[in-house]
Amino acid sequence: MKKMMMTGNEAIARGFYEAGGVLASSYPGSPTVGILSAVNQYDEIYSEFSTNEKVALEVAIGASFNGARAMVAMKHVGLNISLDPLMAFTEIPTQGPFLLVTGDDPGLSSSQNEQDNRNLGKFANMAIVDPSNSQEALEFTKKALDLSSKYNIPMMLRITSRLCHSRSIVTLNDRVEYDIPGMEKKPEKYCMIPSNAKSQQTYMKDRLEAVEAYAYDTSLNIYEPTEDKGVLIITSGLLYENLKELDLDVSIWKLGLIYPISKKRAIEITADYDEVIVIEEMTPFIENELKLMGVVCKGKEYFSLTGELSIEAIEKGLEGAAVINKINQKTIESEPVVARHPVFCTGCPHRSTFDIVKKSKADLVIGDIGCYSLAALPPFEQSNSIISMGASVGITKGLIKSRKNNDKPIVSVIGDGTFFHSGIPSFINLLHQSDGEENVTFLILDNRTTAMTGGQHNGSSGRFNSKNDLKVSIKDLLKTIGFEEVEEINQYNYKKAKEKINNAIGNKGISIFVLNGPCALKYKLNKPYYYVDPTVCIGCRNCIHTGCPPLEMKKYHNIDKLKSSIDQDMCVGCSVCAQVCPVNAIKLSTELEVEDE
Amino acid sequence: MNKNILLSGMGGQGLVLMTDIICEAALKAGYEVKSNDVVGLSQRGGMVWGNVRIGDKVYSPNIREGQGDYLLAMEPLEALRWHHMLKEQGKILLNEKHINPVLVQQEVEDYPSEAIEALNEEYQILSINAAKEAVRIGNEKIANVILIGMLAKALLSDEFKIDEEYWRESIKDFVPEKAIQLNYKAFNLGFSN
Repeated sequence: MKKMMMTGNEAIARGFYEAGGVLASSYPGSPTVGILSAVNQYDEIYSEFSTNEKVALEVAIGASFNGARAMVAMKHVGLNISLDPLMAFTEIPTQGPFLLVTGDDPGLSSSQNEQDNRNLGKFANMAIVDPSNSQEALEFTKKALDLSSKYNIPMMLRITSRLCHSRSIVTLNDRVEYDIPGMEKKPEKYCMIPSNAKSQQTYMKDRLEAVEAYAYDTSLNIYEPTEDKGVLIITSGLLYENLKELDLDVSIWKLGLIYPISKKRAIEITADYDEVIVIEEMTPFIENELKLMGVVCKGKEYFSLTGELSIEAIEKGLEGAAVINKINQKTIESEPVVARHPVFCTGCPHRSTFDIVKKSKADLVIGDIGCYSLAALPPFEQSNSIISMGASVGITKGLIKSRKNNDKPIVSVIGDGTFFHSGIPSFINLLHQSDGEENVTFLILDNRTTAMTGGQHNGSSGRFNSKNDLKVSIKDLLKTIGFEEVEEINQYNYKKAKEKINNAIGNKGISIFVLNGPCALKYKLNKPYYYVDPTVCIGCRNCIHTGCPPLEMKKYHNIDKLKSSIDQDMCVGCSVCAQVCPVNAIKLSTELEVEDE
Repeated sequence: MNKNILLSGMGGQGLVLMTDIICEAALKAGYEVKSNDVVGLSQRGGMVWGNVRIGDKVYSPNIREGQGDYLLAMEPLEALRWHHMLKEQGKILLNEKHINPVLVQQEVEDYPSEAIEALNEEYQILSINAAKEAVRIGNEKIANVILIGMLAKALLSDEFKIDEEYWRESIKDFVPEKAIQLNYKAFNLGFSN
């Protein structure tokens, strides 16, 4: 059998393939974006990045209704927008085995919150598995689909960002094929109108009880008793691996099926011990489940309810619980080192837009989620709010409808991916009750891709890339909605963009600009580099304040004052720095070569 | 005996590829391997780090503070940020090329050159201007593979056996076909450094 290194994400994709998966859908979001990219390599599976997570879930529900094995993967917050279809879908006895993968993000490495989706899995009456390494991610994916098949229950596989991106060895097996029976014509089963849905409330409870009975001796859970019956540690996921690094002489009950937990088994096992300690990240989910069963246990009083639980954090918590003796290892005092914030890439089209906005008379800048979220950080610091995908437009309406002094200009920003994800309904809603007295400038940043998650296609990518089939024109769509004036601007034409945006900010009414500029990373902007002529540069730092990475103030030979400079290996020739220079000190290298000749 | 390898740098420097290559070479050599791939916003110039653990039995992909054997730093400031993860006798394999964080570029903070210099007193540092060397032999993208070559050498001199051929096979597995020879060149440069 072949062994390979795989990330947690890749292992889930492989597990779905081996389990005879037929359809996988997703919306790109860290940490789970790699699942669908990996599924994509298997010809046997239809896979797609859908418009948003709700649509992705609905696509997977359709496949499940058809009796096919289906999987939908999303980052934790994607489940929020998906909750509407999910809560009705889970009432129905699952036909085709169904798996929802949620990528939770303890420590918020790339998210706006740290919500613990185990709570949503329970809320939706799903059973939940939680793997601890790539091999388990593969096996649990297969096992979850089998459980879904056996108990007609929709399954949740919960994985954390660390494990999504952690590589370990997996053993590969062959794919198994299953028949696809087709959708049953039983409206009473699939139409969740009140009369049909009523009986399902007790059905969901009974279904979970059947899974709980299975959980009693499931191989998904591993009990590792030792001779010493003092302490039992109950844990799951990667934390089990972290705990094992401490090499402690304590008993461990590692849960793979974390919901439902077998009450009978939990009481039997814990009865042997003086003390039961639960180690889990974020909310005390397992701890609370055990307490509801009457198991006396402790957990969150020793371990943080936020962030990841590293090996050190587990050690410290167990020291607090007096499970291990005082730690001898000295804590290492590390000096604070200057932060390295993420920035717009070299040549990013958004740079010019935020330079313009920063210098404008905008009173508030309402941001959204995407690469342009980086505008909240130095050097621009141009976002007064960032909430959730597509929220900027609705929030902007609430601001203008509740302000007394409505002539203060608002700039509201949304990207193309986010516009398609969930911005469109808010634009329709915006026209409703617009009175022309407000002063709002909408900047729709269209870089032709869902860039922040690695450059996946979206609704407008096909306009620029023949490999993509969706060719929605944001401008035409907004005009169809009823906005008469929608203008497209080239973001690299700094002067023209500045004139138009400032003009809009200076006047009442709703102005909408679609700011075009292909993602410099995805579409590999690579033009001749620019350079600074230090004898012309006045050291004003206009270019430096755009924050483009190749720029730096530098000491030149025989010149006292610091002057700007450009690292020619890094520069991709977008020209924005040259356009903001008031004295034309920044010149194109090809012109330099001409001069040299 | 396990070896704990830390990687640090910034988005866009190819740290994911580095972890890929190291993991695969170690797997081919018959070890158990676990890694944390890059955490953080890759490709956006922010701070990124990752690690690989190799040995007979590895539970967690995480390295405990003070337990790192090697730190492959693609930028000096990112060596300073993570050096506390190293053992006292840990080694730093360094790309000398400075890349300013935005706060240094905006002249809000200074680049901590003195603190970086002082690392020499604490650790054995094997350094090279990998960015410059990479441009010299091809292009800047292969700077990371120069450091992989240095790691391959360091592991051998510390009597942790991963044969040179496994490194080459691993590189071949992960880089585009037309770039294989160039990446071998980068590996050789690091290996013989």
